[in-house]
Amino acid sequence: MNFENKVIVICGASKGIGFNLAQTIDALGGTMVLHASSDEGIQKLKGTFEPNKHVFFQANFAEPTQLEQAWQEQIGSAQKVDGFVNCVGLRSRRPINLLKSELVLEVLSANFVSHLEMIRILTKKNFYNTGLSIVGISSIAAHSGGAGVTAYAASKAAMEAATRCLAKELHKKEIRLNTIVCGQIHTEAYDAFMETKTDSDQVLERQFMGLGKPQEVTDIILFLLGNQSRFITGASIPADGGYLV
Amino acid sequence: MTDQEKISLIEDTLEIEAGTLTPETELANIEEYDSMAKLSLIVLCDEEFGKKLTGEQIRAFKTVSDIITFLA
Repeated sequence: MNFENKVIVICGASKGIGFNLAQTIDALGGTMVLHASSDEGIQKLKGTFEPNKHVFFQANFAEPTQLEQAWQEQIGSAQKVDGFVNCVGLRSRRPINLLKSELVLEVLSANFVSHLEMIRILTKKNFYNTGLSIVGISSIAAHSGGAGVTAYAASKAAMEAATRCLAKELHKKEIRLNTIVCGQIHTEAYDAFMETKTDSDQVLERQFMGLGKPQEVTDIILFLLGNQSRFITGASIPADGGYLV
Repeated sequence: MTDQEKISLIEDTLEIEAGTLTPETELANIEEYDSMAKLSLIVLCDEEFGKKLTGEQIRAFKTVSDIITFLA
C-alpha cells in the first residue's frame, strides 16, 4: 500500500492505536497531520516524526468549540486531506451514582462532539481531495453493555450512529465514513484499565482470539483509507477477536 | 479526617445505611460490596483523597479498617 502524496489526519496520535498507525503511515511514505491533546503528547510526536514532512496539531478534544480556531491557526487549508482517522478515546468507568453530568459532557465532547466537529472542518470545500475516507475508532462497548462504562459506551454508539447518517449525506461529495469496533487491544489505556479491575473475571473470555495488537487495527484502518474499500461506507467493522460473535 | 468520618464517607459511597459499619466489619459480609461498589471506592480515593487505588490493592482489603488505613 502506497501513501506517497497522501495527507492523512490522525487525531489521538501520540498513544496506542493512533501512534502505531502514525508509525505505519510514515513508513509507507504518507504525509500526516498528527494531533495530540497534551504538551507531552505533542513533544513525543515531534521527537518521533520528521517535522519537515509532517505537521502537528495540538487541541483539547474535551473543548469542541475551540477546535475550529485551533485548526485555522495551526493548519489552515494549506494541505488537502485524503484521510481522517480519529483515535481519541477518553475512557470513563464509574457507577451511575457518581456519574455527574459534567463528566458525561466531558466524555461526550471528547469522543463524539469533537469527532463531528473535525468532520465538519475537514469536509469543507477545498479542504479535502476526492475520495476522502474518514475512520472513527469505536468500541465493543457501543454494542455490548458493560456496568460502569455508560458515558464511554454512549459516546461511541453516538459516533457510529452519526457515521451512518453522514455516509448517506456526504456520498455526493465522494466522501466515505466508517468506524472500527475495537475489542480489547493491548495499549497503555488497556493496561490502565486492567489496573482498576476489581474482580478476577476474565476480561478476555468473550474475546476468544485473545488480546488484540494495535497493528491488527492499523491494518484495517489502512484498508478503509485505501481504494480497495471503495464500496464500503457507513459500516461498523469489527476488530474484536470474536467478542461480539 | 477522623476514622468515624471516613466510615461515614465509605457508607455513603457504598450506599449503606449510616451507622452500619465498624472498623472490624468484614468486607465479604457486606452485601452491597460488589464490583460497582469497588469502582465507587476507586473514585472516592481519587477525588476525595487524591490517591490511586488499584484492583490489586482492593483485592487485599479484608475489613473496613483496611480501607481506613489506606485512606490515611
